[in-house]
Amino acid sequence: MRLYVANSAPNSIKAIANLEAICKKHMAEGFKLEIIDVLEFPLRALADGILVTPSLSKVSPSPAARIVGDLSDRSSVLLALGIKP
Amino acid sequence: MAQPARILRLVPSGPERVALESGQLDAVLDPASGKALLLPDARRALSAVGAAIANGLLAALPREDYRSLAGELEPVTLTVGEVLHEPGQRIRHVYFPNDSHVTLLIMMADRKCLEVGVVGREGMVGIGLALKAETSAVRVLVQGSGTALRMKAASFREALGRSLSLQHELLRYAYAKLVQARQSAACNRFHEVVARLACSLLRTRDRIGSDDFHLTHEELAVTLGIRRVGVTNAATTLQRRNLIIYQRGDIRILDGKGLAAASCDCYDIVRKLVA
Repeated sequence: MRLYVANSAPNSIKAIANLEAICKKHMAEGFKLEIIDVLEFPLRALADGILVTPSLSKVSPSPAARIVGDLSDRSSVLLALGIKP
Repeated sequence: MAQPARILRLVPSGPERVALESGQLDAVLDPASGKALLLPDARRALSAVGAAIANGLLAALPREDYRSLAGELEPVTLTVGEVLHEPGQRIRHVYFPNDSHVTLLIMMADRKCLEVGVVGREGMVGIGLALKAETSAVRVLVQGSGTALRMKAASFREALGRSLSLQHELLRYAYAKLVQARQSAACNRFHEVVARLACSLLRTRDRIGSDDFHLTHEELAVTLGIRRVGVTNAATTLQRRNLIIYQRGDIRILDGKGLAAASCDCYDIVRKLVA
């Protein structure tokens, strides 16, 4: 998974905290999460097709999925990641 | 939430637009310029983060701990004469001054008051919360206008619970304040007014980082716990020795070393402790 954030802006901090909580509760160990700061690496984010931050992108396993916002709606995040609550 | 037209053009429709309209986004990527554009709220929050480093306690935290606090810190402007806390009242916010400073006053029943501490960019207002107190023991009055970062009491308690570094930093600060208060108790009892005035002027200089500042007779009288005429006499003595110029509250330190020599050793003791 890749999480695109804007440094420590408020929604980005919330997204990191919400995702951490989801991972701790619902995901087995061994998943890989990369956090990308778009203020530092805007071209990388554009190349990955990112339009806004925060954005969470599931790269594998397929199908790929994307969810935007502060990830506070846990059920939508789980649905996008293909995890049963 | 209204967003600039340029942002709206970049986020035409779909889930991104929904997230934008519900205030859940921080930045939008602009393919034309290859840059990330911060939304106004995120820009404000990040500029507050930059300013926060001006506060010594926050700057001393590891980056990770600081980042976890940053979302809860609200930039505010403090104005001379504003009262932040009253004795006996519940502490609703803690403050981390940047370029502002406040005086802590003990209010006596006969309406007299005495300064028992000063907090500037090196410290924090509301340290009692870190020591499990719910209410303020002092009146906190803004003495130097400027900016500060403010945090709600509940958020502060939560932050303290999850950051060991913040706990350590604040306990160290609280201990420094305790030692300073003990030193002041002895200083007020035994040292001459001229030496105490010299001490107070040097501390103000250190706090604001300038040899020129403004302190009225009334403020100095409260700081030293003496009458205004006592301030006039002590200031005249220092002026005659060419250590300071003092005119209608405008103070200029002419000879810092000389002023240190004229002050009591409390200045050095407390300075080494707080540094």
